[in-house]
Amino acid sequence: MNALNSRIRIIWVLRSLVGALILGGAATGITVYRSASLSIPAGLTALFVSLGVVHAILRYRNWRYVVNDDALYLERGVFTQVRTEVPLVRIQHVDSRRSAFERLVGLASTVVYTAGSRGADVTIPGLTPDDASDLRERLKGLAIDADGEDAV
Amino acid sequence: MKLAPLSVPYRALQKASRLAITLVFVGSVGTEVGFSSALVAAGIGGAIALALAYEFAYYRRYQYTFTDDTFDIESGVLNRREREIPYGRVQNVDISRNVIQRLLGLSAINLETAGGGSTEAAIRYVTADAATTIQDELRRRKRGDDQRRRTGAEAADSAERDSTDGDSEATDSATTREVDEPNEELLFEISPSELALAGILSFDPRVPGLLFAVFTGLIPFVSPVVPEPAAVATTGLDPTLVLFVMGVVLLVGLVVLSWVVGAISAVVNYWGFRLTRSETELRYERGLLQRYSGTIPFEKIQTVTISDNPLKRRAGYATLAVETAGYAPGQANDRGSEAAVPIAGHDRIRRLAAEIDGCETGGFNQPPKRIRRRYLARYLIALAGVTGLLYAASVSVTRLAALPWYLPLVGVLFAPIAAHYKWLHRGYRRGTNHLVTRNGVWNRETKRVPYHRLQTVIDSRTLFQRRWRVATVIGDTAGSLSVLGDDAAAVDIEVDDAVTLRSELRDRLRASLADRRRRRTDRSAATRDTGATGDDTSREESVETTTAETERSTADTKQDDRRR
Repeated sequence: MNALNSRIRIIWVLRSLVGALILGGAATGITVYRSASLSIPAGLTALFVSLGVVHAILRYRNWRYVVNDDALYLERGVFTQVRTEVPLVRIQHVDSRRSAFERLVGLASTVVYTAGSRGADVTIPGLTPDDASDLRERLKGLAIDADGEDAV
Repeated sequence: MKLAPLSVPYRALQKASRLAITLVFVGSVGTEVGFSSALVAAGIGGAIALALAYEFAYYRRYQYTFTDDTFDIESGVLNRREREIPYGRVQNVDISRNVIQRLLGLSAINLETAGGGSTEAAIRYVTADAATTIQDELRRRKRGDDQRRRTGAEAADSAERDSTDGDSEATDSATTREVDEPNEELLFEISPSELALAGILSFDPRVPGLLFAVFTGLIPFVSPVVPEPAAVATTGLDPTLVLFVMGVVLLVGLVVLSWVVGAISAVVNYWGFRLTRSETELRYERGLLQRYSGTIPFEKIQTVTISDNPLKRRAGYATLAVETAGYAPGQANDRGSEAAVPIAGHDRIRRLAAEIDGCETGGFNQPPKRIRRRYLARYLIALAGVTGLLYAASVSVTRLAALPWYLPLVGVLFAPIAAHYKWLHRGYRRGTNHLVTRNGVWNRETKRVPYHRLQTVIDSRTLFQRRWRVATVIGDTAGSLSVLGDDAAAVDIEVDDAVTLRSELRDRLRASLADRRRRRTDRSAATRDTGATGDDTSREESVETTTAETERSTADTKQDDRRR
């Protein structure tokens, strides 16, 4: 079982920070409008940030993935723990992509698409760019070996 | 070949009527601006003339032909368009006719291909005979095409043969000879009593939404009718009570109306419903005002769902739905699942379902009994929440002071029963070829997914599920209805069972795929030996093989799409 790159925590923390700042900003707006004490929005923002940090750490700890000989297996989730098996025969195509945040910390993700409706796209975040393209190539090769005729 | 000549006036009137409505609207609104009725009439006349001219040109330009490998359509007056659709890619051919079209003897044809949800080609109005000819011809050539691909016989020699005029039936050699007229077998025909029952049991949930949309615009007109608190006080009535009664009357009216609309639309939709099967596909026909007929290839069927509720169970009835991949039947219209049998005797449904997917019946593995306590707690919490909200409303809003906020608490009596049934109906079974799951307190749904249709297997455990040491295993398929998150799910089973189920599903998927592949290679080898005449094997096998073939063509289309 592989863990993600530990820098992914930075991305997740950054993302929750953005959310916390937006919420905090809204709360500040309301308090200024009602001319109440600013300590409430400050406290709220601090709470959101700390929750985000804890969540990011737990999320990182719970994330595991492995490429078996016939399936890609993922394990993740803090509140709801999800384990997904993606049979290699079912892979339609594989992307690797880098968002702005990811480029900032030098990471990339690999996205695996199946024809399914629910787990339609499976994202593995927190890979170094090299790892992401390696994984993409490897999955592509395995999917071809596993006979792509049965994709639907 | 050309469209039906009558399509010219029909299409022109269709176009012109749209324009005319706009003009009449503008005329009625703009009387002050000075649009006289003469001007409007002249506008309408002009529009009809223009539309007629355009549609005549359209008719002159429109041309469809059957070539050896493709179905070609040339069309367009201002923008010219030429399309070639390979026979192997054609998935569904649907014909529909509404009342006016039936009077004029016209039919509309939709061609569906895999990949992409939209209709690939819409042929707007050929004669009824031509429509059936196109449907049959496409099916015949598609099969010929599939078979040719299977045997690996190159179509090089057939390239010279020009079979553009569709009435020359002497098209192909051994490949088409044996796939001519498919012998169709009637699976299901709706009886008048079933149709009536389907109507009675239909409730159109869209009606309240529609009415709401209409009535929100009417609030300024309605509000004077609602009695003012002061005025009511003089009559000695409680204003809250008046509001309450008005609300109840409105609600009852809404329910009755939804029910009537639902009943009428169900009867109109399912009038003369027939389901037949040929070697490779299901065919359906239905509709009173607008007649639909279409085909569903077996290889597109992903899930078969049987659903019922306590009323239907007591009366011995059930509903059947067949879910297909990719093609979304509900696209912007009210047709719903194409091959859904609205209601029929339970035994009939069971036989029909077995005929379609060949799944055996059997018992279910149920979740552990302790989970009933969890359901009970869940229901009680929900009830408490609703009651709390109502109470808060009655306290904080003076107008609602007399609100009977304690009413939802009656539900406490029913919560244990509901919890028990939730547990009772839940279950899963690993059949020989299918994963079968069952869920639902009131509306009980049994889903049957063949192992070779599974896409991903998801095992999830929420915080609460972990506390109860249970898990949910979802078998995801490529079905189109599942977008609503309605996949086959074994909910709240013991964690150990979940792990076993997950790995077993993976193994069975692999095994059944390998099995199908082996059979396919055997088959193609056999066909090659006997020179494409070894079609005397059982139907099951031949269905399987064609299935695999079309799957390959589906995958091809997908690749094409990606390249584009």
